[in-house]
Amino acid sequence: MLEVNGLSYSYCDGGTALRDITFSIAPGERVALLGPNGAGKSTLLWCLVGVLRGEGTVVVAGTKLAPGTEHEVRRKIGLAFSEPDDQLFMPTVARDVAFGPRAHGASPQEADRRARLAAQEVGLDESLLSRPPHELSSGERRRAALAAVLALSPELLALDEPTNSLDAPGRAALASTLASLECAQLIATHDLEFVRPLCRRALVLVRGCLVADEPLANLLADQRRLTEYGLTATVVLPERGPTR
Amino acid sequence: MVAKARTRDPLALARELSLAGLLGALGLLLPVGFHALGWGGKIFLPMHLPVLVAGFVVGPGAAASVGLIVPLLSSLLTGMPPMSPPLALLMSAELTVKAAVASVLYRRLRLNFWVALAGALIADWAVLALAAVAAGRFFAIHAPPVRYVAAALALSWPGTALQIIGAPLGVAAIERRVPRLVAARRRGSGEEG
Amino acid sequence: MSPGHVLDLYVKRDSPLHRLDDRAKLVGLAGFLVGALAAPARPPWAALALAAALLGAAAVGRLPPRALVRRLVPLALVIGGPFALSRLGGAATRAAGEVFAVRSFLVAGAFGVLMAVARPADLLEVGGRLPLVGGFAALSEFILRGTQLLAGEVVRTNRAWALRAPRPGLRLRVGALTAASISLLGRAAARSERVGAAMALRGFDGRLPPVPPGPLPLSHLAAGLAFGFATLLLGVLGRWL
Repeated sequence: MLEVNGLSYSYCDGGTALRDITFSIAPGERVALLGPNGAGKSTLLWCLVGVLRGEGTVVVAGTKLAPGTEHEVRRKIGLAFSEPDDQLFMPTVARDVAFGPRAHGASPQEADRRARLAAQEVGLDESLLSRPPHELSSGERRRAALAAVLALSPELLALDEPTNSLDAPGRAALASTLASLECAQLIATHDLEFVRPLCRRALVLVRGCLVADEPLANLLADQRRLTEYGLTATVVLPERGPTR
Repeated sequence: MVAKARTRDPLALARELSLAGLLGALGLLLPVGFHALGWGGKIFLPMHLPVLVAGFVVGPGAAASVGLIVPLLSSLLTGMPPMSPPLALLMSAELTVKAAVASVLYRRLRLNFWVALAGALIADWAVLALAAVAAGRFFAIHAPPVRYVAAALALSWPGTALQIIGAPLGVAAIERRVPRLVAARRRGSGEEG
Repeated sequence: MSPGHVLDLYVKRDSPLHRLDDRAKLVGLAGFLVGALAAPARPPWAALALAAALLGAAAVGRLPPRALVRRLVPLALVIGGPFALSRLGGAATRAAGEVFAVRSFLVAGAFGVLMAVARPADLLEVGGRLPLVGGFAALSEFILRGTQLLAGEVVRTNRAWALRAPRPGLRLRVGALTAASISLLGRAAARSERVGAAMALRGFDGRLPPVPPGPLPLSHLAAGLAFGFATLLLGVLGRWL
């Protein structure tokens, strides 16, 4: 499904964001992409869809990412941003969700059908479809953004910090939604409890390097490595405790 | 804009449209804010600043489009500038020329920022002079255009000052957060992405 | 400033004019504008008839008088100033000033009624289907969405400001306002990059997919044509009779 080989990326100022990343994802597989803040998780996702152009190769469902093939690759990978407002740019939710199918040549009726289906998949109430995105709550906007990505029926769904600003019921609902999808998934997150029931495998990025690619259960059982990779930390209070 | 769009990298075009839309939005909101504070629009020219900044950060086509659309959209949404008297049309012409000239000088010809800014302001005054001639003919008043332009400048010098101070700050703020603009300008290519 | 409602002259009513198809409204407006630009200031009957037609449209739209007044009062200076100055000139200048004032009020009133009975987003949708206007309509939609996002950012920044500096001195206020504005602009520009990427990732190819037009009821078209033609005729007849 996804083959990444030797992917490296450096910023304009010369700082290295990703170093020689190599991994693959099988069709239907759900993989957690873990790492502390600044590890390069988002950068990796941007590179997979060709928004950032790194060195190395990325092959998505048989299509190699190269100048000229971005359109085809982007139809196969759906990327849900960490900030849903960045993905909602049309006057109404319905038009936003239908945008992808319409941009890829679907008829208005077909695009509308796919939009309603995607909205159902993510549990977005139909009454919200005719509203402007800014009138939705943050949880609803996150679902709308996810529906907008799912409307294209991607073969790989990449999610960047999907549980940001979601309450517990929202996280549970999102987990159920993701569990019901058949496409392969790559979930970039710090939320270990969220990915625990969803993913069997974990990739760990630390300072741009892929330091682990193993079963998630093994990683979660190893507290020392979780701490070493910056995935957990212990809160240390000063001796006198809070005085204010 | 639409015909040329089809031959360009969609990512570059999408980013340019999005950034142009942002600055156009500022062109709508700043005058609302200024009027709410009671700071005269004809004096501070709040709509001019974001459109001028657009001229420095997007290509000439997008910049001209922002200059063309913002006064007309503002007229529809807020009633100012009015369609009649045709101040909206005049501002549209002014801002289209101003933004396009800034973009051509700064992004295509890669001239110094201050040279491009001066060129944009002079182009704006030239449009004002032409409009003054037309208005003079309508009202059967015969005076040299330079007198009208001088009167307009005398009234709006705070706005010109705001542009001279605000434009470099705005452009620097955007270029700092969007480094690809600097790289694209260095290339001097038609691709802003 | 509330996000999403910053710029909106729409007056929510359930009236025949509100229910009229937007295309028919634009047809009516086009005819009225031609009539208004053709009508002379003297004799005044054509201009008065056009004003009456406008008031009639506002009545059909069940618009409160303050909706039109709100639109026209800010123009008092812009229109009244040149008109007042023109009275100091010769006969040709005075006549031009009268024509200027009459046409300005009629056109401003027409747009005022239109924007009170039609939403900008709907009008842009109609405009988006027109061959030359389409691309500009797309940018206009982006600008409108941008106002919502920016207004939200400004509200949040103001709240943060109020919580941390409830009574700032002038120097602090000016310095902080400048810094906050620059920071807001930079953040908004960075966000616009992500929005652009989101569009490209969903297949944007340079054009926003057009919304297909619904059927235009003949009765609506007839109403728009009737109003537009009648007002056009009034203006033209006023000019030539």
